[in-house]
Amino acid sequence: MTLAGEAASGDGVRRKGRGFQTPRDGIRSDAQFDKAESDERSTGRAQRSIEGWIIVITGVHEEATEEELSERFADYGVVQNLHLNLDRRTGYVKGYALVEYETYKEAKAAIDAEDGQEMLGETIRCDFAFVRPAQNERDNRGRR
Amino acid sequence: MRTEEEFYLRYYTGHTGKHGHEFLEFELRADGRCRYANNSNYRNESLIRKEMTVSPLMIKELKRIVAESEIMKEDDKHWPRRNVVGRQELEIRFGNEHISFETAKIGSLADVQDSKDPEGLRVFYYLVQDLKCLVFSLISLHFKIKPI
Repeated sequence: MTLAGEAASGDGVRRKGRGFQTPRDGIRSDAQFDKAESDERSTGRAQRSIEGWIIVITGVHEEATEEELSERFADYGVVQNLHLNLDRRTGYVKGYALVEYETYKEAKAAIDAEDGQEMLGETIRCDFAFVRPAQNERDNRGRR
Repeated sequence: MRTEEEFYLRYYTGHTGKHGHEFLEFELRADGRCRYANNSNYRNESLIRKEMTVSPLMIKELKRIVAESEIMKEDDKHWPRRNVVGRQELEIRFGNEHISFETAKIGSLADVQDSKDPEGLRVFYYLVQDLKCLVFSLISLHFKIKPI
């Protein structure tokens, strides 16, 4: 593929940039990648991480604080870890948080109770951050 | 229209030097598969390859971050070219738009200001930082390793 600059190809996709001229290697290879997969059946599609269960919270207000979040999510279990990342340009909260619980039960309770709730005037969404790959995706190499 | 919108994101930064080809690269697909590779030959450190699957809510948040950055409106035409220090690539497929930008490594905001397209390069510079921040959080929480 040698597309210089902006071009519309036959598939109706507008492609733009010099990167289309560089060879495809590295991450796009079919090499073996390490996974943290388990085959627990009782936990739906959720995937356990090395030390616990991670949930993602979106719709987090830009002025939310770690204290507010960890206090709120401590209602469902001990918060082992909390990442509240900031927007690198503005310095405010980017809009999402990641919370780690030790057990599936705690993580599930937090998701069930908090998904769709309000926090600082925003509706937050909550779910597991990691899932097991879909069955038909497991051996699916490469992309599309 | 709302069903299974095309989405793919890949970021690469790397160079070839006295320690060989050293790079950091990650990609996320619409189906949630996220791959991360980091090859540093310094002090005989080896290649790290990690794979995880993130939930649809996580992908939705990633799309929001990309959409709000408005990176798809930019163009790498006037950005600094790759050089001996290395290169960065950002490839994003979003609906029927597909960008694959390539530029030099950017040390600081001063490099952005001094470029021919500071507005566009600034969008790239901050988006890349926000993406790295998100992916590094995912990796460190999921695998309990420090990504760099």
